[in-house]
Amino acid sequence: MRLPVAPRDAAAVAVRELGAAPSTTALAAEALRATLEAIVMQAVLDMHYAEHPDARPDLADLAVAAAELDGHPLASQPGLLRRAAAEIVRTRPDADADDVVLWAEARAAASA
Amino acid sequence: MSPVVLLDNEAAQALGEPGHPKHRRVLSHVQAVAQRKRRGTGVTMAIPTAVRVEAGWDRTDPTWAFANRLRIRDEALDPTQANQASAIRRRTGVSVADAHLGAVIQATAEPVTVLTNDPDDIRAAAGDQPTTIVTI
Repeated sequence: MRLPVAPRDAAAVAVRELGAAPSTTALAAEALRATLEAIVMQAVLDMHYAEHPDARPDLADLAVAAAELDGHPLASQPGLLRRAAAEIVRTRPDADADDVVLWAEARAAASA
Repeated sequence: MSPVVLLDNEAAQALGEPGHPKHRRVLSHVQAVAQRKRRGTGVTMAIPTAVRVEAGWDRTDPTWAFANRLRIRDEALDPTQANQASAIRRRTGVSVADAHLGAVIQATAEPVTVLTNDPDDIRAAAGDQPTTIVTI
């Protein structure tokens, strides 16, 4: 596998100066492994949703889950997160769960 | 440090059974993990093997194929963890599976989140280890 010069040099600096991995090969392999794992995981989920459409979580479900995974204070206010999810997709249809949590946090801070 | 998300017995069962009332709720957490992985956040999911036994999750059983494909790694009960789990069980009275879960929590240097239907037992098993507990 041939890497473009710029990321290859950047990886070498990260390994040498920052100790990011034992070698540039190890760094590249780990990044590739993580990316492939994410792609496979999403493909498995998409196949499952195709077979079980009711199982697909909506943006609000994902925002609540993201807040819960982080132990975010807004995890205890799912109603606020659900309202934020409904609001944010009006202007940002591609918003993800973390965008919703951030938006809800901003709304909560503004109204405090 | 990469956060670790652990499953308890009911979370595992809910994940493996599309008809389970909490299937979608557990899937929302798995999907949130998948999205973070896609962004390069090194979050991982795992299940202690004693929890897998309690949940009936047999990796050779085709009915568990979906869960098997989600890159959820096993945390095996090695001799050191067996000692820890035994001490946790003696101290708290939690189940063998929850004691193994507690041993995994206490042995993990990374931040841990547990998906569970029994937060009190997980809190007891985790001891002083800071743990994010999500009640499903």
